[in-house]
Amino acid sequence: MANYIIALVLGVLFGFSLNKAGLTKYHKIVNVFRFTDMAVLKFMMTALVVAMSGLYALRGLGLVTFPAAPATYLVGNLVGGLIFGIGMSLSGYCPGTCAAGAGEGKMDYIVPGLLGFLTGAVIYGLTYQLVFPAISAIANYGSVVIPDLWNLSSFLTVVTFALMALFLFYMIDRAGWQRKDSIQ
Amino acid sequence: MKFILNYIRKEEWSPYVAGTLLGLVGVFAVWASNSLLGASGSFENLAGMIGKAIAPKAFDNMYFNFIMPPGITYGVILLIGLFFGGMAGAATSGTLKWGKKDSANSDTQWKQIFGPQTWKRWLIAFIGAIVLEYAAGIAGGCTSGLAISGGMLLAPSAFIFIGGMFASGIVTALIVYRNRY
Repeated sequence: MANYIIALVLGVLFGFSLNKAGLTKYHKIVNVFRFTDMAVLKFMMTALVVAMSGLYALRGLGLVTFPAAPATYLVGNLVGGLIFGIGMSLSGYCPGTCAAGAGEGKMDYIVPGLLGFLTGAVIYGLTYQLVFPAISAIANYGSVVIPDLWNLSSFLTVVTFALMALFLFYMIDRAGWQRKDSIQ
Repeated sequence: MKFILNYIRKEEWSPYVAGTLLGLVGVFAVWASNSLLGASGSFENLAGMIGKAIAPKAFDNMYFNFIMPPGITYGVILLIGLFFGGMAGAATSGTLKWGKKDSANSDTQWKQIFGPQTWKRWLIAFIGAIVLEYAAGIAGGCTSGLAISGGMLLAPSAFIFIGGMFASGIVTALIVYRNRY
């Protein structure tokens, strides 16, 4: 029960941040792929830097243990990502932003969105045996994190990632990686 | 205090502020319940639940029995939270769409590209959603469950997924928007 309350609170804060970052809007997501509004990329990278710094610091202090990281199986992760990008670019959703957008009362998130995700879930569940065991067997490293895999200092890995993120933000803002929008 | 309240009422935050909030939520998830954020798996739990109620035979397979057991899981509660979080966010900025005229097809950029017809938006969005959920199944998670949750633990899978997602997202946008890209 306590776990369910935590899940609900986490979900609400998560949905709130998605709304405030603008991710519940079709154009915000699509315009990242058009290089005309990179806010979604900044949002994701900021979340990653904050969360990984916090988590690795807390783990270093012995205050948390990590849950199993999502498994790495090179071909499946890549193919899944490639198909995912097509769906994202067409609909302007991700599963999480669709749920948050539905809460805002947008009918195009409630009806085709939620129904589409449920339909996709049914199709996947019924074809799982044909697809997943084969694709996840190729180059499977299991549940692993980069510092362990390559035997790196986790502190230096996090710092390097944070510096790369800062450099990316700099390039987007100052070096003009963001184009002028041709659709106005 | 007034500044904070005014900021909460803004429709769109700086991505750095919103991203910091999401990052803290990710840390809180691990600290409070040793779990990760996610969304695509919850749709599988729900689909299994509905499927087993309607056609128990067809849904009596390995996947819906063991891999993604149906029911109101932790993830489903999180998904319900997402729904109300989006609602709270829009309510604080007065941008709720419930009952509004344009709620069926609200995005101006969409209308400029594809026209004002609602059925077109719904059809393409429906197909897109199916593609997204299927892809998340193959990849082992979606933007929340794999890209954010895996990335914050520094799992290689997350970065491979993000790379693939951007590559095909850019190509798809190029095709969809053609000379208006």
